[in-house]
Amino acid sequence: MRDHDHDDPKAYCDPHIADEQERTALTTMFPAEKFAYLQAQTRRHFLRNFTAGVGTIFLGASLPELCRSVHAADRSIDGNLRIDFARDPSHPLSVLPPQFAPTAKRVIYLHMAGAPSQLELFDYKPDLAHLDGKDCPQSFLAGKRFAFITGVPKLLGPQYPFHRAGQSGQWISDRLPHLEKHVDDLCFIKSMKTDQFNHAPAQLLVQTGNARLGYASIGSWVTYGLGTENQNLPGFIVLISGGNMPDGGKQLWGSGFLPSVYQGVQCQSHGDPVLYLKNPEGVSRQARRSMLDVVDEINRQEHKEFGDPETVSRIAQYEMAFRMQMEATDTMDIHKESAATLAAYGARPGEASFANNCLVARRLAERGVRFIQLYHWGWDSHGAAAKEALNLGFQDRCRETDQPIGALLDDLKQRGMLEDTLVVWGGEFGRTSMKENRNGGSPFVGRDHNPGAFTIWMAGGGVKSGYTHGETDAMGYEIVKDPVEVRDLHATMLYALGFDHRKLNYPYQGLEQKLTTVNPARVVGEVLA
Amino acid sequence: MALSLRQLISARRHRLVVLVAILALAFLFLASPPDGQERSSWLLFAGKFHLLTIHFPIALLYVVPLLELIGRHKRFPHLRASVEFMLMLGLLASMFAASLGWALARNGGYSGRIVTQHMWGGLLTALACWLCWILRDHATTRRGNIVYWAALAITVALVSWTGYRGGQLTQGENHLTDGMPTPLQTLLGISTDDSAATGGTTLTVIDRNTFYGARIEPIFAKNCYSCHGPNKQRGQLRLDSYKAILRGGKHGVVIQPGNSTGSELFHRINLPQTDDNAMPPSGKRRLTPDEIETIEAWIKAGASETSPLNAVQGAPTNVATTPKEIELPKYDPSIADKARSTHASDVAALQKRYPDLLQYESRTSAMLSLNASLVGEKFGDSDLVSFKPVLEQIRAADFSGTSISDHSSDLIASMKNLRLLRLSHTHVTDDGVQRLRHLEQLQSINLLGTQVTPAMLGMIASMPKMEHVYVASTKIAPASANTPTLKQKLIF
Repeated sequence: MRDHDHDDPKAYCDPHIADEQERTALTTMFPAEKFAYLQAQTRRHFLRNFTAGVGTIFLGASLPELCRSVHAADRSIDGNLRIDFARDPSHPLSVLPPQFAPTAKRVIYLHMAGAPSQLELFDYKPDLAHLDGKDCPQSFLAGKRFAFITGVPKLLGPQYPFHRAGQSGQWISDRLPHLEKHVDDLCFIKSMKTDQFNHAPAQLLVQTGNARLGYASIGSWVTYGLGTENQNLPGFIVLISGGNMPDGGKQLWGSGFLPSVYQGVQCQSHGDPVLYLKNPEGVSRQARRSMLDVVDEINRQEHKEFGDPETVSRIAQYEMAFRMQMEATDTMDIHKESAATLAAYGARPGEASFANNCLVARRLAERGVRFIQLYHWGWDSHGAAAKEALNLGFQDRCRETDQPIGALLDDLKQRGMLEDTLVVWGGEFGRTSMKENRNGGSPFVGRDHNPGAFTIWMAGGGVKSGYTHGETDAMGYEIVKDPVEVRDLHATMLYALGFDHRKLNYPYQGLEQKLTTVNPARVVGEVLA
Repeated sequence: MALSLRQLISARRHRLVVLVAILALAFLFLASPPDGQERSSWLLFAGKFHLLTIHFPIALLYVVPLLELIGRHKRFPHLRASVEFMLMLGLLASMFAASLGWALARNGGYSGRIVTQHMWGGLLTALACWLCWILRDHATTRRGNIVYWAALAITVALVSWTGYRGGQLTQGENHLTDGMPTPLQTLLGISTDDSAATGGTTLTVIDRNTFYGARIEPIFAKNCYSCHGPNKQRGQLRLDSYKAILRGGKHGVVIQPGNSTGSELFHRINLPQTDDNAMPPSGKRRLTPDEIETIEAWIKAGASETSPLNAVQGAPTNVATTPKEIELPKYDPSIADKARSTHASDVAALQKRYPDLLQYESRTSAMLSLNASLVGEKFGDSDLVSFKPVLEQIRAADFSGTSISDHSSDLIASMKNLRLLRLSHTHVTDDGVQRLRHLEQLQSINLLGTQVTPAMLGMIASMPKMEHVYVASTKIAPASANTPTLKQKLIF
């Protein structure tokens, strides 16, 4: 290096190099000169040089800490043992046992995007019927923000008749005749609350535990924690009933900071179940296999050279896609079901419908898929147009979902799968007790968003059957008993799956990230059988 | 080194003035101790500055021995010159802060053991500090020096102890031990789960078979004890024992047995949260409607300590009102290690041979869960034979859609801990199922789409723990169930 400097004519001109040489000579050989040198140091020298020292001090002090939060240490900040979720990078979805014995092995989550009205389905409020058309009391409006309601709205009574059903005698409206047969299997939570009153953030909150983008969805957390049994299928599958995407977009099944292999795979009802899964025209499975072999070999060499675990996981992804070509196509193909089954669900092969998706959900659950997420849409019953009116479009939504959900519960029960499958139904918030009348005297009836109270139900997977938790006031507007936060629901679901929600975490940005966030969450023990 | 009072007086008169001031403060503390009442808001406001001012003397008094020590070094002799000034400043500042502390405690509704100890700790610190100041003059001799250093040590110890007590007042009693790293806790022999620490000085045994003990006391404990319990008695009211509840507070009795609406306590828990008199006060958790109804029913029934659970009419009885708190188990995988040791190597070998099929039930369990349905028809009787070493550990076995037949019945029958068994769409028949009769733990059996007939139902009915029997698409019809209990178990 020194020789090289001599060869370089710039070496003696460069003040930095000269400076350095001078300093080295002075400090080593002549103590007296060293003193003189130090005397010559100006404030400017100090300001230039000390910053590096500060940086070094910072790194020296915090590097061990930083390293600890990046690498999975075996203990959490609270001193308790961490659960180790490390896997062989070539099998990122391999099964890991839960923390403790679970009551549910898989989840089917039926998200009704748009937020269905609890007051027309499950939360029966006879007093509200008496007050129909009266001015809304000021106490309901003070300090509240609404998406659309302005001024003093009128109260709106239940739009459909209610009756008690099943041995448990729970209230249900006449819109859900098929679900009604299962009312003794359902566990209602009528006191769900959220802090978001717009669809996208509220959906994100329900699905990822956080109203902002970039967090991992429930399905991602569950597949990260437990893996999936069937290595020929994705562990987390998303099915949408055609038409609109939910407002929250694909972030609803994103993996956030978790490795991308845990994100939801959106499957289609017709054509390729997974986009680009099929071999292109003229490429045989054999040809694909030989191509993959070569690509794998290149990747293996790459891994040998650089040792990046992501390379191994890429090989695993190619191999999984290859295996999926057979099994995913087969599973998604509901032609194989009997005519009687298709009729029970109201499914028509080739269509993008909630009914088809319910049937597919059952087939996926049978094949060991960990988390199956369905979205239906069009539940945003503001009453601004026919398709979103409680007296019109809402009826269609009920019809589209009631029979398939009933058939799904039938099937799961008959196959003994309700014992270890947790079914969750719900929207992202509730609807107001007041009528929203955006267009004056229009014939369409609707309700605005109400984050203060909504109803969800769960079935199977270790939750109580024929049970109702929580209560709203006589107007169905605010919770008066046993409020349940979205994160409490998450904690409860994770408990059924065998996890302390605080233990299913992932170190990221210096925090042990959790589905239930940093806020305290409570496992709703009352709903567990 | 003779130290007489006269010498003291003649030497430095102002020292005596300070001593008199300290004694006056002590007299004040004795005459009007903090008694849990709230008084002048002006003095209370001044008292709030206690927290701000207190850190000044603390720092000064820690610095004094430091100055003395470093001052011994030949390079820093000048440091010792400031010691006297520091001592005097620390003394005055600690007296000032102590007076403010008294103003806070006396007027802010404080009382109890900790606040008393903290108060006298502060005063003793001032006294010790004064002693140091005196003794320093006589530290020229060896003996005098020893006495002076002892006084310094006492001062520092007093500052620390008083500071710790003050921390307990503001941060909670276990503020140091709560967040302590576990190894340090074990080293010091501290247990944070110590219920005695949270229970304070209450030694009364509460009879949980009475309505008071089972329903009322838990409500008070959860919502009221923090201000009306062993450590704080706001308004001179304690709610942590039945006697104290009936005694009432500075505004008189809070409960009139039989008269809920006339009871101050009931009145206050019903006030809107914005009301100044509302209890629990704003910012604290409100009582739930059920809790209020429970208290109302109890007062109406005579607010008895001893009346049994069922003697109080009109209290909400809904089971859901008693919250079911789930205790999340502590994660400790090592507890399974020993239980697994008998079969861990067999499990590992099987997991290698049959990937994804065999799993531990959980990370803390030695029991297993077998899911052969993933392999489908490729899994047959001969495969199950290889699972022989672990059969007793299997708690759930799923053979749905496999080629398992009656030949495997004996192997399945030796899964003594089996709770859940799925044989749907397999070749098993009545004969095979009959041989499972000794599976005493079995709760759920799935025979969907098999050739079983009503002939085996009698044996199913005799299984002690059986709850769910899945028999759709078999020769069994709903009419085959001849008893109501069996009918309940069959699922079609």
